Amino acid sequence: MVDVVLSIRDLHKIYSGGVHAVKGVSFDVHEGESVAVIGSSGSGKSTVLRCINRLIEPTEGVIELRGEQINTPLADVNQVRSRIGMVFQSFELFSHLKVLDNITLGLRHVRGMSKSKAEEVALDVLERVDMLERIEAYPGNLSGGQKQRVAIARALAMKPEVILFDEPTSALDPELIGSVLKTIRGLADEGMTMLIVTHEINFARDVADRIVYLDHGQVAEEGPSSIINEPKTERLQKFLSSMHEDKISEDIENELVNTQADHGYVPDGTGNRPRS
Amino acid sequence: MNSASPGIERIFSWSSIDSKSRVVILVSILLICSIPHSSGQETITGWNEAESWTDYDLNAAVIHGEIIWVFGDSGIVRLSEDSGATWQNHTNLGDANLISADSYENSMAVISSEGIIYMKDDFESEWITIDSSQTGMKSVALTGATSLVIVGNEGAIWQYTDQTWWNRTTSFTENLHDVDFNGDEDGLVVGDSGTILATDDGGTTWDYRESPDPDCSIVSISYFNPYRMFAVSDSGQILYSTSPGGFEWQLREIESAGYNTTLATNLSSIDVVSSSRILFTGPDGYLGLSLDQGLNVEINILPTGVNTSFNDHAMFDYVSGIVVGDSGVILFTDRAGENEDIGFQIPDYNNFGEFVEYADDMLLSGFIATVKIVLFGILLGFTIGVILAMLKTAPTSFKNILERYSTNQIRALGAVCLIIGLWLLYTGVNRFPELQLEGLEYIFTPVGDPQGFAMFALGLGIVAISIQFILADKKLSGPIFKVRPLNSLATVYTDFFRNTPLIVQFMFIHFGLRLGMRIQQLMEGTFGDPGIDGIDYFFYGDRTFLSAIFTLGLNSGAYQCETIRGAISAIPSGQMEAGRSIGLTYLGTMRLVIMPQAIRICIPPIGNEMVNLVLNSSLAMVIGYSELSRQGKLMIATTFQIFSAWGLVMISYFVVTWTLALLLRRLEEKTKIPGLGISGGA
Ligand SMILES: Nc1ncnc2c1ncn2[C@@H]1O[C@H](COP(=O)(O)OP(=O)(O)O)[C@@H](O)[C@H]1O
Ligand SMILES: [Mg+2]
Repeated sequence: MVDVVLSIRDLHKIYSGGVHAVKGVSFDVHEGESVAVIGSSGSGKSTVLRCINRLIEPTEGVIELRGEQINTPLADVNQVRSRIGMVFQSFELFSHLKVLDNITLGLRHVRGMSKSKAEEVALDVLERVDMLERIEAYPGNLSGGQKQRVAIARALAMKPEVILFDEPTSALDPELIGSVLKTIRGLADEGMTMLIVTHEINFARDVADRIVYLDHGQVAEEGPSSIINEPKTERLQKFLSSMHEDKISEDIENELVNTQADHGYVPDGTGNRPRS
Repeated sequence: MNSASPGIERIFSWSSIDSKSRVVILVSILLICSIPHSSGQETITGWNEAESWTDYDLNAAVIHGEIIWVFGDSGIVRLSEDSGATWQNHTNLGDANLISADSYENSMAVISSEGIIYMKDDFESEWITIDSSQTGMKSVALTGATSLVIVGNEGAIWQYTDQTWWNRTTSFTENLHDVDFNGDEDGLVVGDSGTILATDDGGTTWDYRESPDPDCSIVSISYFNPYRMFAVSDSGQILYSTSPGGFEWQLREIESAGYNTTLATNLSSIDVVSSSRILFTGPDGYLGLSLDQGLNVEINILPTGVNTSFNDHAMFDYVSGIVVGDSGVILFTDRAGENEDIGFQIPDYNNFGEFVEYADDMLLSGFIATVKIVLFGILLGFTIGVILAMLKTAPTSFKNILERYSTNQIRALGAVCLIIGLWLLYTGVNRFPELQLEGLEYIFTPVGDPQGFAMFALGLGIVAISIQFILADKKLSGPIFKVRPLNSLATVYTDFFRNTPLIVQFMFIHFGLRLGMRIQQLMEGTFGDPGIDGIDYFFYGDRTFLSAIFTLGLNSGAYQCETIRGAISAIPSGQMEAGRSIGLTYLGTMRLVIMPQAIRICIPPIGNEMVNLVLNSSLAMVIGYSELSRQGKLMIATTFQIFSAWGLVMISYFVVTWTLALLLRRLEEKTKIPGLGISGGA
């Protein structure tokens, strides 16, 4: 039996406005496993992720990281967060810092590394996301795909036990999505434990070991990635067919990655604003 | 590869400044530090030295008609007919030391250490010699044309009247040092162990008066009128009584000595010359003058070369007279010995150039004084602004603070707080009736009884909070738990400073709270006397400077806070989440992620605040700080060139604000984040 890294038990979240966004969600993420969370907009995916990272407090339920409950006032929240990486839809790079300093910030101020040691680690992770060429650039001068890869590197640098992705490609122009997905796929191959909220159904099917389908704040279906081809519940079926109407070609990912379309791309400052 | 972050620290770091700018900065700092505060002004003595033709110690001086008489050791007598400027010899009176003298209408009396009394009962008459055959006499006072009272050692009091000697010694046997009468009935005597005796029948019977300090040795007394009685002790205390008959005596808390009850110098005599003006003498070359009944005592500067023990004054009126001392020293004055500030003569202007040349010095010192308070005011204001903005944006609510405790613990805390709160409330409210206020006047309680009001307000707050603690449920859903206490504190501060006029704040802080004085005393205690120039003087030599920078800083902070807070909320919330998600603490994220971005955004509006601060700094003139506007006023006082003076001042202000605006524009360009537009988002 593989270790359970993250365990979520009967999670509820009622926002102060009264919205019951998450209604009793439970699932596990095992060591080295990639779990994709899918579901329509507003189904509570982000809420679950933010509860795990303690950016918000769940109303009820238990979240355990390697068997320790982390959602109690007694747990050291900063220590918990530094063990859980987070990649946001809108990148959230520190725009006043160069790429390299974006990565070293946490290493130096959370991990207490010296500047040179931190830069060593930073260069290492930047190489893994293929961003070595742009370490002196400011985030404002990067393309969306590059930004997201730097954000992934920032999370990776902290050597987290699990990385949470919240729609990492939703704010990207279609032609920039490929490079980011490729990076995540690379991490999956290396055996990184990941929880990925995504709308890229094909990517989820190919990369994820397991799929969790959320609907109206509940786990409507959960199973191996094969459930995407053979959904058991009607709700997932409906969701998948609605997704296919958006029809992203199965080849687009490979095609774009191969041509390295966004490499070295400098935006003209008009695009790449985060979408909600 | 070595990529320093472009954080605020780098923008202000020494290494990032090019060599030309370094020279400019260094020269400016040197200039600011090297210019003394009030240049061109000098203080000179108010005393002139007269030739006395003797080296004997002179002990007593007395005015008899138009003539001043001076008596000294070995029977020395000198007299002056021109208010003390030139002196003539007079036949010695015996060969014993003459120690005390007094005059009364047409009569005059002198006593010697051998107990011989020399008297004149008219201006023209000869000296009459009376041998009392007593020793230990100290001081004499005439109570009539031929009647007098003499005091001496071991409580001795003698009365000479109708050609007869009476011994009026009382049961108090301390050594007595001085006697003084107001009229011929009312008199006072002082001596060791704080002894004060009073008579109302010309010296026949004496009553004891309660002393404010039974340990001091009172050496001199001056009975000016029934409401103004002053005495001094040899250890530098000033005693005073304002009750007719001298029934109640108090020690003066001397403002100029930091509200101490001693001048920190030894004293030998006191002369009250008007209802507010007092002259003091002391050993070791001490002459002091107070213009406000001893609240503030200014040390007289002495003519060069004079340094002796002074013994007695003789004053014609409240300004002209003499002082005598050991080794034959006589000084005369026509301004009560007051120090005189000289400098800034009114020149005769032929053209504008000459006026400017004259005004330059004052303008420059005002300019530097303004720049000084502006620089420190900006630093302080910005710091306070940042702190307040952080407090206002702090998300910590009572719920965050308390959620780790069980409901029962919170209820217990509530119960304890309720008791404390009720006690504070009760005690505070109970103090209010003492203020004797009515109705609406109660809004002034914070001034009338700050402590009581603080207890009342604190108690009220604690009671309101604790009741909700007691009613707390498991979810901590009561309204109080959403309250952010840090935010509330900061709001009280900013509301206060933004809803009162700056000019009143200046006066309240400087004159009311005496903040400048308190800080100066604190600094003196830590770093020693500031002296009159150098770096210590620069920082805490001037109280008005301290009050001015704190008022400007505290006020500006309240305004800057809102600007900075706006900038903080303009940073997308995702930045905070991103910082926290890599494990930074809230404060760490604020410092490393939010603030560096927020400060950049708010440079333009903060710049406006700073320009406002420069303009507001002109109000510092109301507390007497010699900045530009005040210098302008002074310039007009000495030159009457109203148009030109205010014109120069105005241009000087413009130079300051314009330079500041340029610097800020440069700073804005330097700190611009590449690839980031005006939106400032992520
Ligand atoms: N901060 C919030 N306050 C109130 N309601 C919220 C908040 N964030 C999200 N919600 C609501 O919670 C539900 C789930 O939101 P979310 O978790 O963001 O969904 P998803 O990420 O799956 O699109 C939505 O109905 C949304 O409107
Ligand atoms: Mg979402």
